[in-house]
Amino acid sequence: MKGRYEDENLSWIPLLIIGIFLIPFMLKEITFSYKYYLFVLNMAGIYIILTVGLDLLSGYTGLISLGHSSFLAIGAYTSAILVDQIGVPFILSLVISPLVVGVFGFLIGFPALRITGMYLGLTTMGFGFIVKRLIIALRVWTQGAGGLEVSPPMIFGYTFNSDWDNYFLIFTFAIIAVIVGRRIGKSKIGRAFMAIRDSEQAAEATGVHLAKYKMLAFFISGLFAGFAGALFAHTSHFISTDHFDILLSIYFIIMILVGGVSSIYGAVLGTLFIVLLDFLFVPELKDLIHRVLNIEGGDIQSLLFGLIMFLFIIFQPTGLYGMWIKIKIYWKLFPFNPKKRLI
Amino acid sequence: MKKATGLFILMGLLVMGCGNRASAPGVSEDKILIGNVQDLSGPMKELGAVLPAGSNLYFRYVNENGGVHGRQIEMKVEDHQYNPQKAVAAAKKLIEKDQVFCLYQVIGTSPCEAIRPILAESGTPLVAPATQSGSMSDMSREAADLIFHTDTGYDIQTRILVDNILSDNVNAKIGLIYQDDDYGENVLKGAAVAEANTGIPIQKEAYQRGATDFAGQVANLMKGGATHVIIAGVVKEPIIVMKTAAAMGFGPKFYGTSPTMDHRISLAAGPAGEGFTSANFASLWNSDAESAVLYRDLCTKYEVPKAYMGMYHFYGFITAQVLVEGLKRAGQYPTRERLVNGLETLKDWDGGAYPPITYSQNDHAGTKSVILVQVKEGVQTVITDWVE
Repeated sequence: MKGRYEDENLSWIPLLIIGIFLIPFMLKEITFSYKYYLFVLNMAGIYIILTVGLDLLSGYTGLISLGHSSFLAIGAYTSAILVDQIGVPFILSLVISPLVVGVFGFLIGFPALRITGMYLGLTTMGFGFIVKRLIIALRVWTQGAGGLEVSPPMIFGYTFNSDWDNYFLIFTFAIIAVIVGRRIGKSKIGRAFMAIRDSEQAAEATGVHLAKYKMLAFFISGLFAGFAGALFAHTSHFISTDHFDILLSIYFIIMILVGGVSSIYGAVLGTLFIVLLDFLFVPELKDLIHRVLNIEGGDIQSLLFGLIMFLFIIFQPTGLYGMWIKIKIYWKLFPFNPKKRLI
Repeated sequence: MKKATGLFILMGLLVMGCGNRASAPGVSEDKILIGNVQDLSGPMKELGAVLPAGSNLYFRYVNENGGVHGRQIEMKVEDHQYNPQKAVAAAKKLIEKDQVFCLYQVIGTSPCEAIRPILAESGTPLVAPATQSGSMSDMSREAADLIFHTDTGYDIQTRILVDNILSDNVNAKIGLIYQDDDYGENVLKGAAVAEANTGIPIQKEAYQRGATDFAGQVANLMKGGATHVIIAGVVKEPIIVMKTAAAMGFGPKFYGTSPTMDHRISLAAGPAGEGFTSANFASLWNSDAESAVLYRDLCTKYEVPKAYMGMYHFYGFITAQVLVEGLKRAGQYPTRERLVNGLETLKDWDGGAYPPITYSQNDHAGTKSVILVQVKEGVQTVITDWVE
């Protein structure tokens, strides 16, 4: 019998991991503003952890969530309060915070038993608004809307104080998240998730317990978001309700759509693409337009971002991962490709 | 021996001279690059375009008059969409990539709070953050030694308004409508101080940023019997609140914090806005204050669109005056440290619009007083001198 991963070539993964950890050294050699690029990559790393979980929920299980920025917020505030106000070690908070968010995810999973599609999206969005109000109301712990200063991550006496340090911390966990996400996707749980997504009736007929697996999907997705939230709070040093708005939840959905749903690697590619587009490419393009055409105003930035997204979804609906698979097939068949356009 | 001593002194002077010429990021022979992070496409984008335009108006004037120590001032503006994470990214870009000399006028409390670690790490000063939150001048906070606040905090403004109300009527029942965000948080802090000082409770009603319906808050204040209501909003909120109250037959005296000082409020609120009193941390743009006169002259000279002229454009203009004064005091060869030291030499400095500004090593608040402005027959009229 064929093993679960035998159809995949995994030999490139150790090389990729080494490559990921060499990036800061390369950036430092190339540019004096490497700290800025590391900051952007760190943000992408944190979001990768979250979108891997979101892919398991929305991509694999087909349950849409517009409340993932609030999951991130709960993780961030829980960890900040645990570490800075209760004195729990950061490493322990990395265990507790995801569990707390997982429980919230589990509770949000209840409506998912009765509703699907757009209605579930609206319910999770409503949850996001409630969380924001709760954070403001619980100002004794959260400092309300004024925001909360958070200590840097400390593991076994070592404090991660810079973007350089944070990079290694964040990407270690991001790599683990991707591996775990792939494992779950390929496991019995992942197959049950996909069965639910494809047809709830058929899944139930084959013995998949709908309620159990739907709530499990929310719980697991919550765990990933909670973990990302804890890292977000301590590497950002400051969190406020302004961070976690509905737009961020929509961005997360866009990330997995652009990357290609239910592949995990797609979530990684999509997140990198959106973050780099939003923080590096579009501002550079805006600067260029400003210099050439002398047009001022941030609306150009939003316009460019929207335009690129629009064109991308029209011309590449299968996402980045789908594009990668097509390229792979193309070169596998080369030079005997069918004459129609593949890419 | 004398020769050796002379040579030693000469070498010492040369070393000192070289030290004085130490270059700083963003400073070249003929230019100083300043970084500004605004909300250009978020909920406060109306201000995002106007504030830097006001600052650039003054920079243009300074540049045409030879610049600061012969250097032209150039400002680079980035967008944060009122998102703290984006503010961090923008500040990092300006400091690490564009190599600006200092940050200036970053808008919003939470964006300013979020960039504190970057300021501390890079030693970059932030001059005149565009928020009146008192937390900006809290010297116990991270990077407080690098932040120079120019505006009287919302907390102080609220306390002054309560004092003013009670001096008008000792039996006043005070209500407060506040935005439930970082701005409102600082207003609440001031309300708590006022409550503690006076022993009089304040009825507090929150609203969400962007709200357009205040019937619930007004009804609650009416039920609570408020005789004086402080509105901690921006422009549209006081207009809607006062019009809603008038429609409901509720007629308390209305007051507002500095963001409600916009002259459009009296125009839009009409009779409902008559008597509306707001606190402001600087002289009015259409007053006879020295800066206001220069501002209007420059607006005419450079043909500034009428839509830009007003409180927020003027705000950008007068904060630029503070920055330029700091740059002047940083000397011929400015460094970030010299800018900080230069600003800390301001003692009762009168720039022509702000109350006298004083900074020291232990106090970066700048000002702690406001003027009160009242709408009388549809016209904004200053009714007090600087009040602390």
